[in-house]
Amino acid sequence: MQLQVNGKTRQVQREDELLLWVLRDELGLTGTHYGCGIGICGSCTVLVDGQVTRSCLTPVASVAGKAVTTLEGLARTGRDGAVTLHPVQQAFVENPLQCGWCLPGHVMSAVALLNANPAPTPEQIDDSAGINLCRCGGYNNVRKAVARAAELKRGGL
Amino acid sequence: MSTLKPNKVLRKKVTRRRVLIGLGTTAGVLVVGVPLALNAGRPALVEYVVENGTGPQEAPFNPDLWFEVTASGITFYAPKMEMGQGIHTALAQIAAEELEVKPEQLTVKQADTARGYAGGTMFTFGSNSVNALYTPLREAAATLRELLREEAARQLGVPAKNLTAAGGQFFIAGRRDTLSYGKVVEGKQGEWTLPDKPARLKARKDFKRIGRAMPRVDFRDKVMGLSSYGYDARVDGMLYGAVARPPRYGATLAAATAGGASAQPGVSKVVIDLKANFAGVVADSRTRARNAVKKLDLRWEGGTNVNQAEIDAQVRAGAGVVVRRRGNVGAALKQGTRIEAEYSTPLVAHAHLEPLAALAQVAPGKNGKIEVWTATQYPQKVMDDIHAALGKDREILLHPTQLGGGFGRKAGQTAAVEATRLSAATGRPVHVGWTREEDLQQAFFRPPSHHILRGSVSSEGRILGVEQFTASGDIIWPASMPEFVKDTIGFDPGGVLGLFMPYDIPAYHVTNRREALPVPTGFWRGLGVFPNTFAVESFADELAHAAKMDPLDFRLNNLPDTEDGQRLRAVLEQAAKRAGWRTPPPAGRARGIACGLDVNTASAQVAEVSVENGQIRVHRMSVAVDPGMVINPQGAKMQAEGSVVMGLSSTLHEVLTVKDGMIESANFDTYPLLTLRETPQIDVDLLESGDTPYGMGEPIIGPVGAAVANAVFALTGKRLRDLPMRL
Ligand code: FES
Ligand code: FES
Repeated sequence: MQLQVNGKTRQVQREDELLLWVLRDELGLTGTHYGCGIGICGSCTVLVDGQVTRSCLTPVASVAGKAVTTLEGLARTGRDGAVTLHPVQQAFVENPLQCGWCLPGHVMSAVALLNANPAPTPEQIDDSAGINLCRCGGYNNVRKAVARAAELKRGGL
Repeated sequence: MSTLKPNKVLRKKVTRRRVLIGLGTTAGVLVVGVPLALNAGRPALVEYVVENGTGPQEAPFNPDLWFEVTASGITFYAPKMEMGQGIHTALAQIAAEELEVKPEQLTVKQADTARGYAGGTMFTFGSNSVNALYTPLREAAATLRELLREEAARQLGVPAKNLTAAGGQFFIAGRRDTLSYGKVVEGKQGEWTLPDKPARLKARKDFKRIGRAMPRVDFRDKVMGLSSYGYDARVDGMLYGAVARPPRYGATLAAATAGGASAQPGVSKVVIDLKANFAGVVADSRTRARNAVKKLDLRWEGGTNVNQAEIDAQVRAGAGVVVRRRGNVGAALKQGTRIEAEYSTPLVAHAHLEPLAALAQVAPGKNGKIEVWTATQYPQKVMDDIHAALGKDREILLHPTQLGGGFGRKAGQTAAVEATRLSAATGRPVHVGWTREEDLQQAFFRPPSHHILRGSVSSEGRILGVEQFTASGDIIWPASMPEFVKDTIGFDPGGVLGLFMPYDIPAYHVTNRREALPVPTGFWRGLGVFPNTFAVESFADELAHAAKMDPLDFRLNNLPDTEDGQRLRAVLEQAAKRAGWRTPPPAGRARGIACGLDVNTASAQVAEVSVENGQIRVHRMSVAVDPGMVINPQGAKMQAEGSVVMGLSSTLHEVLTVKDGMIESANFDTYPLLTLRETPQIDVDLLESGDTPYGMGEPIIGPVGAAVANAVFALTGKRLRDLPMRL
């Protein structure tokens, strides 16, 4: 089957596999992480047609024909080869977490939130980010990063 | 019994002779390696071993600190593993300071065991990375700078003193042109010779980088999904392995056959080794390997059938080894107001979000070379375990990857041994990545603890005497203690961290008891610091109330007039000030305070709590920390915040129970961690008290539980003495 990942069409052999393992082990996109396999931690989060999706619970067959975006698909590379981070990525560089294993959840949730709501309130940020764990305890930087990302995005970055 | 003072880590000065190793060039590259002699292990244990006459390790041949200078910049191979604590950034900052380069001119790479290993610095635990490497790294970087300066002077035909190093180049007195480090290396003819004089270190007042916020060197890659962790290790042609797990701790494989596993789709090999209690499968996908393992025909025998109640009964404070005996406690307890209290903390997990994982590639033949990529805090332990499993004569090249959290659990890496076995049996590279269920259950845990404290206070609010009994499952004991140390000291050095009340107590007896539990226990962030500080700082609060004194004033009143006492006073006052301790809390809330000293870092915290719908809610944590000296304020604050969050999670949620010889929880549905919504405002103030940086990774977790318990008492009058807290 074919999969649309980060704007490219990719060929997939294992049609009975979960999206998470197809991304990581078949397509080599290891930026999407495994943490629990039961939808709780958020480390495996991707966007499917713009929606926050736990890839550890998603059969790959169910996303055929839909647009999958992973952490690797957010930055833009210019014609000169220069890489521009997505505002959410930039905001997390400014407000880093620790080990970063949880980042797919926090970054992808923020991307989806800001696409739907460019000026979220602190409560809305907590609602969106609160579905993801961070064992290293970077939660307050998640809050800061999402607020900062909104600012950067409004500034047209 | 001498008490254990942390932080006397052995170091050797970088001298001319020591820096020479690896000093070599190919055209246009300068490579400098510096060997150090640093003892592995928790500092307290190191000192104990040294006092008992084993002495420091020999200075090794392989360098620990390794720099490469080329025209495009300087690469520093860090001997410490990055697990989110920001160590690569802190080390880069220290090196950049003495090298006089901009951070972006310095690339940090993880050293592997072929580069920067044998000195025994390649481990990451005990909160001592910065403390141990601060001076040697500065000396190494300054030596490199002076080496370049002398060569630049030769090339330019000017005296070295006419050259000023800044931004990776030399400015020449009276001239407008400059010479970059890279050009110096490119222009070098023949052999390098080290300067005769040891390089002078910069004065602290001249620091441009140390002590200021510096962006994380690893985080851009991380937000782009490009960082490689143990779970991400890849080589061409690799297969996936999965391993059968015992149903009870200590169970052994009595019989095993492939059963239906070999016939499962994608399976290339079933590997059974009864002597090693090992049965695993190699397949062309992770899912297929895991599914096939379920079809193995296995008979497990023996092991423990222990249940939680028996563990609780085993971990009871009472008889044990006396670890402090000062004054006549019997007499002291007959005076003043006397109280007694019991506390307990449960078995908990590390729950790092990246489960154990490793990739191994074993070359054919009995002594084929082994190459391993894995997320580990302690490569030596991994290599020892692999040698034990596959034979001592094999050469191992270990590449530590980024770690998705560690907290002590990744001190070894069982997955690496498993991947190595499977690769040796198939002749193919094999990756083993544990499931969360495996990671949570087939682990070792923070042991449960039980504490009994009796104490008396005078009417003036002075502590007269304290008698303290603590019991804990083993921490360091099972993993890393030589027999003679066990015999000599009789207690677990990990279990005494955070154990002693930091107050001036005329009569103070402490008895510590260690228990080998049927459930595996071991290192967990700070070792005894969290459980012990919860007990002693809750008890300090109870003594304050018995003396009818404000808990902050009571602590200040009883701190000794020593350097430690003064540092604790400073952090207590700062945390109190930040929290508004002397002003009434918002309606419906109350505050609690606690403090502690660990690896020479003093910290104090004020928790502000309320109770909503029968649930404890923490609104604010005001933290003051004195780690001696701060390298990167941004990184230090993150470490403090992370410790508070992990401490709150332990305080409010985390508990494991054992049934029929196995942990009952297997995933986050039954082992909830603190969430973002529950995370309070956390204010961190950093205080400095000298020129030596101590640890930031563990000490701050100590006072969290007691600060919350003391706040809940102030609010409700109810004293919560068992973790996790239930109202
Ligand atoms: S791995 Fe998917 S939510 Fe944890
Ligand atoms: S940064 Fe480690 S789990 Fe979030």
